Order: sequence, then structure tokens, then C-alpha cells
Amino acid sequence: MLKINNLKVAVNGKEILKGLDLEVGPGELHAIMGPNGSGKSTLGYALAGRDGYDITDGSVEFEGQDLSELEPEERAAAGLFLAFQYPVEIPGVNNAYFLRAALNAQRKARGEEEVDSMTFLKTVRESIKTLKMDEGLLKRAVNEGFSGGEKKRNEIVQMAVLQPKLAILDETDSGLDIDALKLVAEGINGLRDGKRSFVVITHYQRLLDYLTPDRVHVLSDGRIVESGGKELSHRLEAEGYAFLEESAA
Amino acid sequence: MSALIDSLAIEARLPADDHVEVRRRAHKMLLKHGFPDIKTEAWKYTSLRVLEKRAFSDHLPGSNVLPELPFAATVLHFDNGLLNANDLNLPDGVTLEPQSGAQLDAVDHGDRAGAFGWLNLARFEQAWQLRIEGQLEQPLVLVISTAEDFHGDVHPRLAIELAAGAKAQIIEVHGDCGEGLVNIVQDIVLEQSANLHHLISRQSAQSAWIQRSHVKVAGDADYRFHTLDRGGRLTRHDLAVHLTASGAHAEIDGTVLVNDRQHVDFHTAIDHEVGHTNSRESFRILADGSGVGVFNGRIHIQRGADDSHSDLNTANLLLSEAARINAKPELEIYAEEVTASHGATIGQLEDQALFYLRSRGIPADQASALLKQGFAAAPFENIESGPVRDWLLGVLNNVI
Ligand SMILES: Nc1ncnc2c1ncn2[C@@H]1O[C@H](COP(=O)(O)OP(=O)(O)O)[C@@H](O)[C@H]1O
Ligand SMILES: [Mg+2]
Repeated sequence: MLKINNLKVAVNGKEILKGLDLEVGPGELHAIMGPNGSGKSTLGYALAGRDGYDITDGSVEFEGQDLSELEPEERAAAGLFLAFQYPVEIPGVNNAYFLRAALNAQRKARGEEEVDSMTFLKTVRESIKTLKMDEGLLKRAVNEGFSGGEKKRNEIVQMAVLQPKLAILDETDSGLDIDALKLVAEGINGLRDGKRSFVVITHYQRLLDYLTPDRVHVLSDGRIVESGGKELSHRLEAEGYAFLEESAA
Repeated sequence: MSALIDSLAIEARLPADDHVEVRRRAHKMLLKHGFPDIKTEAWKYTSLRVLEKRAFSDHLPGSNVLPELPFAATVLHFDNGLLNANDLNLPDGVTLEPQSGAQLDAVDHGDRAGAFGWLNLARFEQAWQLRIEGQLEQPLVLVISTAEDFHGDVHPRLAIELAAGAKAQIIEVHGDCGEGLVNIVQDIVLEQSANLHHLISRQSAQSAWIQRSHVKVAGDADYRFHTLDRGGRLTRHDLAVHLTASGAHAEIDGTVLVNDRQHVDFHTAIDHEVGHTNSRESFRILADGSGVGVFNGRIHIQRGADDSHSDLNTANLLLSEAARINAKPELEIYAEEVTASHGATIGQLEDQALFYLRSRGIPADQASALLKQGFAAAPFENIESGPVRDWLLGVLNNVI
């Protein structure tokens, strides 16, 4: 599904990712943990194709395709989804309208038929219900005036509607109370079907309690420095990231 | 200066009615003051050169088709600027009459900055007085349009009066195809507790549109104005609102879109003449190509107009390097216990927002169109939801 090889990414001329390797197979859920500033969001942005996140070395393959050659919207249509750590407010753009435009743009790019508004509304309403969100949010401007938790859940609603092949979730759990956290986990688990893959970036192990990660990686200073099973996240929780410095030293 | 006035063509067509003297007086005033130039403070961003270079010719009454509107309305069509009042079917409570000589005698358009007002008075063919009593169920739509072969100048003059307690929605739809001058003067009066929603949707091609609207709002009356201006070669609108008695209220909301070689200039002024009067204004310009957008929003709270409140905000988007925006709030406050806030920003489309939309699969072009539409639609969000608002937003989304 996703093959990252010796990836180096510079932001504003400063190297942030310094040779990152990661391979995610179909149906797998990988967790990436790591201290603040280690480059987790940079990885998400670089994969999604944000301007200014320049790949200076290495390669990223998504289903055999070189991602660096695709525009952000082409990556989305190919099946890549990034849930933003800080979802962006879009004043004046209706949430439901936006999401349908996104879905149809992707379908069009893939040569599929557009969905009519009835079918679309049915799909969104289901996701909204799963995440116990207020349907009124559909009529509001995208993320505008949403609470922190609503923004995060809105990302999961978008993911559920867009049905990506690979979803990268950047700290979707931060700032959520335990009930919201469970809902988000449910949203993710509901989409696991043995084929769809996930990269879950998180700061805490508590979200992982509700998911079953196949692999856990530790990102530090732009590299994956440690990989393991679920037990690694428990060790990080107990010991913090301090041991990284020891092993680096 | 006189080159412009000499180049106008309408003189030949002026009717030999009771207003010959009125026109002569106005002509004199115009010659005395002259047209504004860039040294005239209120006109410093808007040059009349386009007009001066134009050769105007006499015109026939037009034969324009009316735009289709997706709501029921009473339509008054000013075809090539002239209203055919013969087959009008006005609703109960609405009367339309020619303005009286006394009314026209009393007109004062001030100095050079009001030159187009004097020009209108010197050259008008028709001057109408529309009076509204009671509550209108359907909007009144004033269509002012010019035909393709229109290279003339027209000077529609319209007074609108809402009787005490009256309530109406007046929608102006302006459009042109020719290369003329449409020079409109409006006098609007809201009597005690009247309520007017005044809306303008304009898309101009090569003609110049000059409009002066003078609004007087009585106690507890409510004036709401919305404009959606989709650009033109030379458009200038002066809107002056006077809050003349306690409880008077005014709101102005507008969006202007300018693109290549277009120039739109809005000058608004809200005058709080007495205390306990409130106003709110929000104005947006989106300038693309080599378009120029000008907004000057003046708020004047007079001495003694205590306990008045006003809020003025202008947010603008500069979408290309060659485009220009001049947007300026102008507050003059001489009263006490007043709250007056204002803000002005000029920015660009946000990279972050663009990327967010694109990361969801929306192509770059469509993403920036969505952002522009969202930005441009904000001033219309406070219109009651229904067919009029849907129509306006549809019109907006069609051009972005
Ligand atoms: N737009 C940017 N310009 C400059 N530096 C940036 C930018 N974005 C991120 N960085 C830097 O890159 C590093 C990694 O940031 P980030 O990927 O956000 O880390 P994380 O998500 O792991 O907290 C940090 O040192 C941060 O300061
Ligand atoms: Mg981060």
C-alpha cells in the first residue's frame, strides 16, 4: 500500500524528515508516536502534498505510484486521506456542499459517476450519527465555530464519506474527552475491512487501547528510531520518550 | 470638463415639459462646479477618462428582454433607462407618479462631488415618484438595462417613499450591453417605523454606471441595503443614509467583484444625526486581473447624537498582482456615550484553506472558486433565507 524509503523532507530549507523508512501493507493499521517537533505532521503534509514540503531525497510509493508526481487532489482521488491535526476553518463554504463537491471531484477524477444529493445525504447522515454529531453542523460553514472536538470528529466524518484506501490521522485524538475518543475509535474501526490501511499519528497510547495496531513506530528527529508491536506503545506510556535519547547517545 | 458634457447626446431628446427651467438651473450648476477630477477628494481613485473618450450617440427606446427571476415580483422595466408606465400593474398601496416641479426645484446636489446629480437633473427625461403604503407581499423589481446598440446617456430619476409603517423589498437589477452612460439618482424616504430592504444586483459591461442614492430614515424605521456588484468598466455608487430620528436603523452589506480592466467605486456615508440611532455595515471587494475596487465607508455621528452605535467592517481579497483595492473606513464622531467600531483588512486566499480543500480531492481551480464564493457570500448571509437569497447566491456563484 505505502512504501516510504529514506524520505527526506525540507520545510523552508530546513531538513525535518531525515531519512524515514516506513512500509504499510493493505489492511494494516500503523501507529506513529513521537515527541513534539519530531516531524509527525510534516510526514502527513508531505504525503498529502502540501506546498513547501519539499521531498529532497528518497521515495514515496502509494500502490506502486510515485506520490511525489501527484497534485494533492490527485493523491486524494487515488485514495489518500489526511485528517489534519488542526482542521482548517473555511468561512462561507457550506460543510455538506464542500463534502459532496470533494466526493464528486474524486469520483470524477476516477471516471466514476457522481453521487446524487439524496444518496450523498444518506451516507453523511449515517456517519454523523455514528460519531454522535449534531446534524446542524452540515449546514454550517466548514469547521467554522466548531468546538475542538467537533472539528476532529468532522475529519472522521469526511474520512467515512470519502472512503480512502489509506488514511493518515494526525493526532485526531488530541483534545478529545474519553467519550469522543471512543467514538473516533469506533469510526476508525468501522472502516477497517482488511483492505483499507491506516497510519495513526498520536501522542498518547490511550487511543491505541481502542484500536488494534499492527505496528507501532517511534518517530524522533525525523527518523523512525524504533518499531514494534502494541507493547511498544505501553512502554512509551510508562517510560516517556526519555529512553530515545539514551539509545541515540 | 465641458468636453464631456458636450459629448453627451441626450439633449436633443429632452421633452418640452414643465421642467425646462429646472434643467436649465441644473445645467448652470454643473457648469459652475464642473465634473470631479482626481484632485476632488471623494473621486481621487476614480477617473472619468473612460467617459471623456467616449462618443455618445442618441438612442431609441430599447427592446431588452427582461432577466428571468425565480420569484414572484412586480417588475418595473427601465428599458434603456426609460420606464413605460402605461401597462403597469401595481399592487395595492403602490402609486407611481411624475415628480412635481416643486420637488425638483428643491433639489440640491452640492458641489463638484455631486456633479453627476446635477447632470442627471439637467438631462433627465423622466422623474418618477414611487409611494408605498402598507406591507408589500411581493418584491418590487426595478430592472434598468440597456440594449446592445446603446451608446447614449440616460439619467433615470426616482424618488421612493415608504409611508409610516410600510414594509417593502425593492430589488434593482442593473445590466448593460452597450457603451453608454447610465446616471441614476434616487431619493429614498422611510417614514416613521417603515421598513425597506433595498437590494441591487449589477453586472455591467462597457457602460458607465453612476448612481447616487440619498436615503432618509425616520424614527424606528429600518433601512437594509445589499449590493452585489459584479464589475463594470466604470461604476460609481454614492450611497448616503441619514438617520434622522431616535430608533432609526440602517444596515449596509455589499460585495464587489472586479476583474480585468474593471473599476468599481462605492462611497457610502451613514449620518447619525440624532441620538439612539444604530448602523452596521460590512463591505467586501474581490479584485482579480487588473481590476480596481474602491470602498470608502464614512460614519458620521453628529454632536448630540448620543447613545448611538455603529459598526463598520471591510474585508477584501486581492487575487492578482495587477489588481488594486482601496478600502477605507472613515469615522467622525462628535457625540458621547457612543460605540463605534471599525475594521479593514486586505488579504489573499489562504494557502492553508486551499490545501485543505485540495487534500479532499477538490482541484485547485475549484478550490479557489469555493473560497472566493464563500468570502463573497458573507454579506448576504443575513438575508432571510428564501428564493431572493438563493437567487442572489446563484448569481454570485455563476460569476466566480
Ligand atoms: N511551516 C514550517 N516552517 C518552518 N518550520 C516548520 C514548519 N512546520 C514545521 N516546522 C518545524 O518542523 C519540525 C517538525 O514539526 P512537526 O512535523 O509539526 O512536528 P510534530 O507534528 O511531530 O509535532 C518542528 O521543528 C517545526 O518547528
Ligand atoms: Mg503535529
